[in-house]
Amino acid sequence: MNTTATQRAPAIELLEVGKSYGKTAVLSGINLAIAPGEFIALLGPSGCGKSTLLKLIAGLEELSDGEIYVGGRLANYLKPSDRDVAMVFQNYALYPHMTVRENLGFPLKMSGVAREEVRAKVESAAALLQLGEQLERYPDELSGGQRQRVALGRAIVRQPLAFLMDEPLSNLDALLRVEMRTELVRLHKRVGRTTIYVTHDQVEAMTMANRIVLLHKGLIQQVGTPAEVYAAPANMFVATFVGSPPMNLIAGRIESSGGQRLFRGPFDLALDGLAPAALGDGPATLGIRPEQVALVGAGEPQALPASVELVERVGPDSFVLAHLADGAALNIRVDAATPIREGDHVFVRLPPARLRLFDAAGMAVARERA
Amino acid sequence: MAQAVEAPAALDGADLRRIAADHARIRRWRRRRNELARHCVLALVTFILVAPFYYVVLASLKNGTEIFSYPPKLLPIPPYFGNYEKLLWDTGFLRWMFNTLFVAGAVTTLKIFLDSMAGYALAKIDFTGKRAVFLLMLILLMVPIGALIVPLWSLVSGLGLTNTYLALILPPLANPLGAILMRQFILGLPRDLENAARLDGLGEFAIYWRIVLPLIKPGLVVLAVIIFTDQFMSFIWPLIATTSDDLQLLTVGVAALRAHGGANYGLWSASAVMSLVPVGIFFFVLQRQFLARSLAGALKQ
Amino acid sequence: MAETVATGLAAGAAGRLRLSPAEHRRLARRARLRRELTGWIFLGPMFLCFVVFLLLPVIGTVWWSMRSGSILGGTQFVGLDNFLQLPGVVGAGAAIRNTLVFALLSVPLILVGALAIALVLAGIERGGSIYRFLVYFPVLVPGVVAALIWLFLTNVDFGLFNEVRRAFGALPVTWLGADHALTVLAVLDVWRNVGYWAMFFVAAIIGLPTELYQAAELDGASAFARFRHLTLPLLRRIIFFAVIVATIWGLQVFDTALVLTNGGPGTATTTVIYRVWLYVFASNNKVGFASAISLVLIVAILALTLVQMRLLRGRRGVD
Repeated sequence: MNTTATQRAPAIELLEVGKSYGKTAVLSGINLAIAPGEFIALLGPSGCGKSTLLKLIAGLEELSDGEIYVGGRLANYLKPSDRDVAMVFQNYALYPHMTVRENLGFPLKMSGVAREEVRAKVESAAALLQLGEQLERYPDELSGGQRQRVALGRAIVRQPLAFLMDEPLSNLDALLRVEMRTELVRLHKRVGRTTIYVTHDQVEAMTMANRIVLLHKGLIQQVGTPAEVYAAPANMFVATFVGSPPMNLIAGRIESSGGQRLFRGPFDLALDGLAPAALGDGPATLGIRPEQVALVGAGEPQALPASVELVERVGPDSFVLAHLADGAALNIRVDAATPIREGDHVFVRLPPARLRLFDAAGMAVARERA
Repeated sequence: MAQAVEAPAALDGADLRRIAADHARIRRWRRRRNELARHCVLALVTFILVAPFYYVVLASLKNGTEIFSYPPKLLPIPPYFGNYEKLLWDTGFLRWMFNTLFVAGAVTTLKIFLDSMAGYALAKIDFTGKRAVFLLMLILLMVPIGALIVPLWSLVSGLGLTNTYLALILPPLANPLGAILMRQFILGLPRDLENAARLDGLGEFAIYWRIVLPLIKPGLVVLAVIIFTDQFMSFIWPLIATTSDDLQLLTVGVAALRAHGGANYGLWSASAVMSLVPVGIFFFVLQRQFLARSLAGALKQ
Repeated sequence: MAETVATGLAAGAAGRLRLSPAEHRRLARRARLRRELTGWIFLGPMFLCFVVFLLLPVIGTVWWSMRSGSILGGTQFVGLDNFLQLPGVVGAGAAIRNTLVFALLSVPLILVGALAIALVLAGIERGGSIYRFLVYFPVLVPGVVAALIWLFLTNVDFGLFNEVRRAFGALPVTWLGADHALTVLAVLDVWRNVGYWAMFFVAAIIGLPTELYQAAELDGASAFARFRHLTLPLLRRIIFFAVIVATIWGLQVFDTALVLTNGGPGTATTTVIYRVWLYVFASNNKVGFASAISLVLIVAILALTLVQMRLLRGRRGVD
């Protein structure tokens, strides 16, 4: 458990932010501070409230609870255009009756920037995004990728405190998406502005963000760097959402027997170190990632028998779906060269150091320091 | 034991091609015969619908005695223009036409703005009473002016507005159809566009004026056409609201021709034809778009 | 509780708001007021006209219907007397009867004809737009002018109808006599309005999913079977909507009745709105009855409107 210490004043702060429509709460108890220049991903499945949170920060929706501070100022009651943030929408929202140049210059024109300055900024943004050729065209003459860059450009020209991006890549085809992902990361390194990036794609979040905020059912599940979130998921939701294929989960019970704490399930495991004494008996879940399961020989210590149901060959790796004695499923990543076939009987070992334990409520149980 | 289904004799390539060509020819012929039947039916129907117009044009070009002659002349040769002369110079027809076009134009222009603003508020702004207002409009949508002539007339004369253009222009502004239609159109606009505009610093009115209005132009055209034709044809309210000759509208004036002035069929037919000229031109010009868009608005699905 | 959420906020800051609830309320109220004001500024002008020239008159009709007198002279309160006496008042019953008969005659004819035309028109491949233009043209004719045109058609001596009858050796008919006047009026309305509904149905038919028809054709359904089992059910809601709206419009008939027959002969074609007009402007003391019968019409229209709203809110036809 560590808190990312922020030395400078946060760019954006969310205090107890909540949003409800009538009686239904879409977001509750959101507390977050975003450091200047950070790239934060709001990650979660559809309906978890991430887009709503973004709109609350932008001022496009009204807060039901809490406070939002942008650049140190209370933003709750500020108009969107007064908050000094720019947004890139999922379907670009370009003004169809204006040329690219006019689209790019529009926000500047609205804030009363002088014409020459508008021109200069538009040109530099267009250069940055390779839109120089498209300046006199209309949005419906552009390809999806170009439109997306215009949407980005429109945000860039404003040089705002923060960029808010609402799943900007999800309307692009797969190849373009990967390309644009790299572009965005590069852009962030160059321009260095605080960015809040909403996505449901955990690969995007993992590759692009400094920190990831996982949201589910309107609540923050975990905040951490990609590494933290991957290696030390705070609960089962995070464990299965991040990482593809998801973490293996094995259900069982914690029992005390003869002074020993045991995890009983498809196999028995001594818990020492894995769980603090404070944790009571009861249902629990063990988790381990597919790449952490080892295929071993029959005689090795802690080897467990398993039968192979399916082998998915995906290039350099293969994913093996195997079943333990009582039917519990296990996904194992192996090298493609490993000779393994459906129907094989193999032995697997789950290194205790890699195991994560989750309690009955699905929360991760911290390891006891030895 | 015979097989239930016999395998067909083997067909070679040429046979198959011939059969396919035969089928295609039969299908084409069937489609053409179908099409021809449709054209026949439609030609008959349109003839029935349109023949009266020709008949009236004919009558308008005949003088008094020719109209009654039997067998009737089917071609207007030589054409007699006396009816038209009488209509245009001796009656207030031109004045009526001007009044009607002026009032219809004024109502249309005003309503375009009033209704689009109201539609924008109903579609995009959250304020108390919005649902109640919309519901009220839906409920009273179909109540015609004709059923309200007593209180309307009392109101208008109470305000001292009888025999003014205002009396003709104001009451039609109350019709909620425009606001409801505009709300529909504006709801159909992509949500994020307006959000982007807000972030860019546009105030509410600027969003309405610079973003929404240009994007609902087709809807505005539909609305304008509906309102204009409606106003052109309105009768009962203008009948009651204006008694002075100066302010007569076309419909009222033509009805007056019928009521007074004996049985001057020539004049009547000329007035009928002349009344249709502006509509005919207008419609012919907008023909293609008019039909497509007028229907888009009419369908509630 | 294991603290595993790394929010980045300073220690202890999480969950503590910096402004008091009271201050929040004040600021929120200001923002909300601004929004309400904007909403009403946009809606205001149109709504003002709506209230003054539509809503108030509707209420006014109720008020007037409970008074007796003349519209310019004084009136006095008589409660519900007007309604009680209405059946006996001269012309009232006849007006209602005529209007209902008129609607019952014209609406089915209009809609059936329009549907038939639409079915034929929707399937045409080329040249359709000429027919659309011509079929729709009578819709644009003001009622007064249409009636004028029909005066020509129905004239006993030189009218087209009788000319045709004579050509076939039949005797001329007094079309605008007491026997036929209302029917002729109804047919006039059909002629005027069939084009409107025909275009309406054409748009609806074009919007139907063609895959269903292709599937039915493959299943061996004849054209008539496809109509009966596919088109009709799919258009059910639209047809219902058309029935309601066409009826509401039919109940308002006035200008054609005035110009074609002057409400006659006698009162054969005096409709409700016609009768209202007569009560108010052709007599001196019937403003109460005029309003009462207007109210009856308004209530009928509102009832039909509510039926239609209930229908449109109901189960989605065939998905």
